[in-house]
Amino acid sequence: MEAGEPRLAAEGLVVHSNTGATAVDGVSLEVRAGEILGIAGVDGNGQTELAEALAGVRAVAGGGVHLDGEDVTSSGADARQGRGLAYVPEDRGSKGLVQDFSLYENNALKTYDERPFSRWGWIFPSVMRRSAAENLRAYDVRPADPDARAGSLSGGNQQKAILARELSGDPGVIIASQPTRGVDVGAIEFIHRRLLEQRSEGKAILLISLELEEIRSLSDRILVMYAGRIAGEVGPYATDEELGLLMAGRGAERSA
Amino acid sequence: MSEERREQEGSLQSRIIQVIIGIGGALVFPVIAILISFVIGAVIVLATGNNPLTAYSALIGGAFGSATGLGRTLLYTTPLIFTGLAVAVAFRAGLFNIGGEGQLYIGAITAAWLGVSLGGLGVAAIPLALAACVVTGFMWGAIPGVLKAYFGAHEVITTIMLNVIAINLAYYLAQNPLRQQGPIPGTESVPAEVRIPLIGIGLGRTNYGLAIALLAALVVYLLLWRTRLGFRIRAVGLSPGAAGYAGMSIGVNTVLALAIGGSFAALGGGVEILGVYGNMDVPFVANLGFSGIGVALLGRNHPVGVVLGALLFGGLNSGAQEMQFATDVPLQLASVLLAVILLLVTATRLVEFIIGKRARALAGARLEKGLGG
Repeated sequence: MEAGEPRLAAEGLVVHSNTGATAVDGVSLEVRAGEILGIAGVDGNGQTELAEALAGVRAVAGGGVHLDGEDVTSSGADARQGRGLAYVPEDRGSKGLVQDFSLYENNALKTYDERPFSRWGWIFPSVMRRSAAENLRAYDVRPADPDARAGSLSGGNQQKAILARELSGDPGVIIASQPTRGVDVGAIEFIHRRLLEQRSEGKAILLISLELEEIRSLSDRILVMYAGRIAGEVGPYATDEELGLLMAGRGAERSA
Repeated sequence: MSEERREQEGSLQSRIIQVIIGIGGALVFPVIAILISFVIGAVIVLATGNNPLTAYSALIGGAFGSATGLGRTLLYTTPLIFTGLAVAVAFRAGLFNIGGEGQLYIGAITAAWLGVSLGGLGVAAIPLALAACVVTGFMWGAIPGVLKAYFGAHEVITTIMLNVIAINLAYYLAQNPLRQQGPIPGTESVPAEVRIPLIGIGLGRTNYGLAIALLAALVVYLLLWRTRLGFRIRAVGLSPGAAGYAGMSIGVNTVLALAIGGSFAALGGGVEILGVYGNMDVPFVANLGFSGIGVALLGRNHPVGVVLGALLFGGLNSGAQEMQFATDVPLQLASVLLAVILLLVTATRLVEFIIGKRARALAGARLEKGLGG
């Protein structure tokens, strides 16, 4: 499929890590409608901070983020989500889910303040429960019990529950950070299928993964990150050697 | 269609069962703790040369056996509901509010002042003065919230410190600008029309402040589980990381939870002034705020639990007076019983040892959630 308009873009993005070090050092990229842009790299080369900055949960130290052509650099996670950005964080345990919330509360974690879940400051748990039951069934979360505590689910089912929440709102742009880390084989396949489905529906997807196989099998283009910079761009048929050299910072400097 | 309905009925049934299991699980620990503490208390009673059965029947009879006793119990229960709620709301946001004592004094001095200065308005002054308590308590409670959220000061330290400031501020006001004529230090008495009416029916000094307390518990329930703000407070309390990722502000919700807690404790202070004392004497009644911590702990930071916990505290204190009258057992036995109950509720591992791991597994998850463990 031919990729369309750029939906998510970063320009010269600079982001600091929790320790104050420069984790992302001038990254520019574009994710277009109908494509999966993969980001490969050895863990700790700025991928996490890049995803967080794009999603609006980490402050940007320089450069800008554009969502559908509009500058959203200074708007928060809330506002970006409202503009159709979905974010699957890599740390599902402490970032993706409130472990001690029920599945229906987690399902509404970002939309609890919107209709039909809420009106005039009140929330409606029964509506949340019904909507969650639908989502959980559609994403094959087991148990599909909206009242189950999120923390009682297996890793794969937790991840499917997050995907159900993030994708059910029909977002235009999806950032998926290590969506299958620590997840069983069945769930991995399921999650991959869902991401490919979203792509064919014309969504722009940024996939960050440490698994080269995952990156190669899903992505239309691959950016390799090294030391906070884009070390190079390759196609999905890049060899292990090509990717490996870029990931080790030995590739020909190229900026995307 | 019919299948869907059956499914809905099935889920309704399973939800009812879940709720029953939930309530049962929530009650297991407090009930066991109460039973064990009574056994330990019996040993103490024996050691003082008294019959435990006589002492306990006097204790329970004194607390609930007569209209007068029940009235006294409810009178003691009322302020503890407010201070228990003050702790519980903050706790739901993951915060320990140790400032209930000071917040209650802030409300008390506010009501003592406005009850007199708005006295000309008659009955209308009651809601005005109580509303003012909510406002001053909110502002006072917001101070540790702001210090925590934006300056990193731990709320346990700041709320304890603010107790000292609040109590002395209230005493200063009571002894200087608001001081009454005559030798007794304290504020002027509020006019009779501005006093919260007694419930009557033989319940002694129990007044409609109790109804306000129960209403406050209902408000807390609705706030936490039926509003956007409550959803945010609970999410922030259970998982700041996930709440932040969902776009909720940790800082704002920290301030709000402590401020709302403060407004409930202050409302309790106002109700004590307008319902029970009529003015603020120096010294004023002590430890209502600190007892609220135990009440919330016992009540698992749930408004229903807080009401029950306050009733237990109030009942033990009330019944102990009767017990001291009927036997030689000192009044302090009630404090010992309460202390043991709280110790056992806190020391989950000890109870686990006593009742076995399996029973604990049923109730434990909830308990540890309640304690933040």
